[in-house]
Amino acid sequence: MQGDQILDCKGLSCPMPIMKLAIAMKKLDTGKVIELLGTDPGSKEDVPAWCDRTGNSLLEVVEEDDGFTFFIRKE
Amino acid sequence: MAETGLKKKGILAELYGIFFSKSWPMWVGGILLGVGNILLFLVLKPWGASGGIYVWGANLFNSVFGTGFGFKGGPLPPVGMFPYSIICFLLLLGAMGAALMAKQFAFRFPPVGELLKGLIGGVIMGIGAVVGKSCTLGGFFSGMAALSMGAVVFTIGLGIGTWIAVKYLIFEITKFPKVSSGKTASLLGAGKGKGSWQPYVGALVLIWGLVIAFKYTDSSSVRAWYAAIGLFFGFVCQRSRFCLVRALREPFTSGDSKPAVGAIAGILVAMFGFTVIKFMGIRGDMLWVWPHFWLPAIIGGIIFGVGMTISGGCIVGSLWRAGEGHIKLYFALIGAALTMPFATKYIAAPLYAALPASMQTKVFLPNYVGYGASVGIFVLFLLVWYYLVKWNERTGKFSAY
Repeated sequence: MQGDQILDCKGLSCPMPIMKLAIAMKKLDTGKVIELLGTDPGSKEDVPAWCDRTGNSLLEVVEEDDGFTFFIRKE
Repeated sequence: MAETGLKKKGILAELYGIFFSKSWPMWVGGILLGVGNILLFLVLKPWGASGGIYVWGANLFNSVFGTGFGFKGGPLPPVGMFPYSIICFLLLLGAMGAALMAKQFAFRFPPVGELLKGLIGGVIMGIGAVVGKSCTLGGFFSGMAALSMGAVVFTIGLGIGTWIAVKYLIFEITKFPKVSSGKTASLLGAGKGKGSWQPYVGALVLIWGLVIAFKYTDSSSVRAWYAAIGLFFGFVCQRSRFCLVRALREPFTSGDSKPAVGAIAGILVAMFGFTVIKFMGIRGDMLWVWPHFWLPAIIGGIIFGVGMTISGGCIVGSLWRAGEGHIKLYFALIGAALTMPFATKYIAAPLYAALPASMQTKVFLPNYVGYGASVGIFVLFLLVWYYLVKWNERTGKFSAY
């Protein structure tokens, strides 16, 4: 899977990944997919919860060597 | 018999899964921290954090530069002897053990801009803590449970400071995204097929913490219990990702109510315990009622709120995230520790000397309306807060996104 935009949040801790995601999503066209790379263990729960609350779709979570990649589609 | 294809987990593997496979709900963390806070009060005094960090910083300056920093008008206690320094160190250790056990530990190096934000946030927190005579614990989590009106004012200040700094963060991410991007690194982390060593090292770290606690029984059972409870606090904070910054920040950002509910649960539990302890005269009723009502509490609260939001963790939030390996939060702790001794001497001391006595009083609500009404008022306050964060979560009225 590949996203339309990559958002590199590696090394960042709370609240930066979610804040950057929310702000990037505002600029994104509906139907496009953001690929968020993160290493904060908190993101594992925060990203799905945020998608749930905002009605965006979390398409896939891939576990990487040093963190996760989230694929989120703007709805 | 039908073959399910699933291998049944061993009993110990199942137990491990209960504790470490997922984060605990934040309200569970809140209740456990509330119970721990009551135990701490029974041992000596309620939970606090900024005093411990002050003692770290002041000891460093005194030993390296021969500065003569004291502590609260008396001599400076050594780091290893002061219960609140002990609790801070063991909290970091408990969180590190928990993160390793859950295979969530890694030294995470963020971009340089983030490290600077950690340091600057820490410096601002340090100033706020000495001006307001408390942090998110003394002036909020434990202070509210102690029925202190100064804590209510400090908490309002924290909310205002958080709101201001959230505006800044949104501005920064929008206009200067480079601050939070750049070269990063991650060391010793676990991931796909690696890091299976982490739980074993985590167990050793936790055992080391218990050994430290046990060693203190030779000299002082108070210190021993502070060490053990500190280790427990760190463990619980990491597993539940309990965060007082998020409790105050999320309503202005994502709208998530879970962190606030966690804080409310912890305050409520501790409040009942503290009230029994104070009412029964087991400990002094003015403990954790600080002489900061009302001006220093509001100013200190605002400053501290700005600092903790920029660094991404209050003192305790920074301690447990540092334990998890976030280098930014080590910078926040260093910033706070190095600032507090100087801010105490050059900012707080002249400020308090200039303020009229009526603006730096201890206001213990039961002295005015009795214990019953005080608890009622505080419960009502928590209920209103609960209602507001839940309502905001549904409507997004105050949330940025």
